[in-house]
Amino acid sequence: MKKCLLILVVLSLILMFNACGKKAAKVAPVQEPVVEKVEEPTTLVEKPVLSEEEIFQQKSLEELNKDQILKRINFDFDKYTVREDMKAILQANANWLLKFASVEVLVEGHCDERGTIEYNIALGEKRAEAAKNYLVSLGMKAAKIKIISYGKNKPLVQGENEDSYFQNRRAEFVITKK
Amino acid sequence: MKIRTIVLFLFVCLLSWQLRGQEEITIRIKEGMPMIPVAMPEFQFSETAAQKSEINSTIYETIWKDLEFSRIFKMVPREHYSYIPRFNPNAINFKDWASIQANILISGQLEITSDERIIFSFKVYEVASARFIFGRNFGGKKELSRLIAHRAADEMLKHFGEKPLFTSKIVYISETGSDKDVYIMDYDGFRPTRITFSSAIDMLPSWSADNEKILYTSYRNLNPDLFMFDIYSGKTELLSSGGSNYAADWSPVAEQIVYTSSKNGNAEIYLKNMKSGQEKRLTFNPAIDTSPCWSPNGREVAFTSQRNGTPQIYIMDAEGSNIRRITTEGSYHDSAAWSPDGMRLAFVSRIENRFDIYVFNLKSNEISKLTENSGRNENPSWSPDGRHLVFSSNRSGKYQLYLVDYDGRNVRQITAGGENKMPKWQKSPKSAK
Repeated sequence: MKKCLLILVVLSLILMFNACGKKAAKVAPVQEPVVEKVEEPTTLVEKPVLSEEEIFQQKSLEELNKDQILKRINFDFDKYTVREDMKAILQANANWLLKFASVEVLVEGHCDERGTIEYNIALGEKRAEAAKNYLVSLGMKAAKIKIISYGKNKPLVQGENEDSYFQNRRAEFVITKK
Repeated sequence: MKIRTIVLFLFVCLLSWQLRGQEEITIRIKEGMPMIPVAMPEFQFSETAAQKSEINSTIYETIWKDLEFSRIFKMVPREHYSYIPRFNPNAINFKDWASIQANILISGQLEITSDERIIFSFKVYEVASARFIFGRNFGGKKELSRLIAHRAADEMLKHFGEKPLFTSKIVYISETGSDKDVYIMDYDGFRPTRITFSSAIDMLPSWSADNEKILYTSYRNLNPDLFMFDIYSGKTELLSSGGSNYAADWSPVAEQIVYTSSKNGNAEIYLKNMKSGQEKRLTFNPAIDTSPCWSPNGREVAFTSQRNGTPQIYIMDAEGSNIRRITTEGSYHDSAAWSPDGMRLAFVSRIENRFDIYVFNLKSNEISKLTENSGRNENPSWSPDGRHLVFSSNRSGKYQLYLVDYDGRNVRQITAGGENKMPKWQKSPKSAK
């Protein structure tokens, strides 16, 4: 009996409330249509930075060489000993080369335009050899490194000034096999 | 005050007088005999067609320039001919020619046949005795007018006890665009002929003793290897590979060459027998040894070595023994070239960052400088008669070839366009096959 009473009270309350609502609706302003907001959460997907391994896998020999993965080093006038400030470059080259054991490299020795053709061939060869020996001292296998001298046949830049001469007195590292 | 000025003035005068004195000491002394004065009036020529008279003047000018270049003959200036009656080949008045100081008179006659061939006859007279000395007739295709002229001029040399020179050739490297190829040309820079066609770098060409083969280095196999090219058969042969292989010089007396190779790890000088192919290593030194060059008698080899720290010129016996140092001053010498008389070595020295050609007299130990204050001068090579040298210089901005006399006189540019370098003169001209 008590239950019936409770339901009755609730029902009457609802009815009352409904009647009130209807009354209020008549005075309320026209409701605007509901605009659903469309959103997409921002993702964290970016173009990934390739690892050295991935770059190595993706690029051709020409591309690797063009990008100068291996940096060239420069020499003093008339000299073929590795300069102190060039050792870090050779270390970086060696680090890369040691990571990719399949790589074979050709070290090109070059000279500036001052000097004779003949002596510069020999000097360029000594420079290439010095660079090779340094890489070997850092753990490279000698069999993976070949050398060639171009003497003063292939200057990198033209110009009769110390800066051009310096740039031309160099050893370049060309990847020949990967 | 006045006295001081006068004293100062006198001092300056004295100083400049002394400097003058020093300059006079450096004036070079002429070698050998005085030059023989030669007169050569215009050649007799009946044709008038423009192209044909061009052949006439080509032959005339070529002979003139050859004889003028020789240092044996001295051309009597053409202006002087106008002082005397016109030359008549049928009635020569030798007294006229004696009056303008001519000792030798050359009379030439040119004919062009109906099949466009040249017939050139020249007669040589001695003016003082008014007699005919010798004459020659040459015939050939009209394209060969320069060669005909050189042959005629060579006859003059031969008659006066000299070896032929004007038919000699120079091999060199010409660079147009990125190609560096071997070329051959006449000694005066005319008639260049390309003989290698690879897109790789070719360098340091030289002649075989018989002038039929060219030794040179090419990067065509991606390494500086030594090749031999036969210019008559067109065949190329690989002589040495592995390491750098270059600067070959063919013995003037035997079928063997010396050259530089680093095939065993370091730049050393090797002797190769061209008949048996056998090789012998001549230098054993951890330093750079390079640029070998035969003495004319084939008993010794001059070369460059850095064994004492800087590149210097040395001479060794052809077996590799008895090494002695030639250059004692300066810190950079290379590219030695032994004169045909065996007396002198020409080479390149770097003094205060200038590269010049020097000549060292092996008998007197005197050094003279052939080039002065004009770019980098490299790769000297002697003419067959030892009176001239060819060398390369970038004095004009680009490398070109120049001729110079043994005493530094008569510098003359013989190439233009592109870059031309590394010349080698034939050791003795032999008429082509």
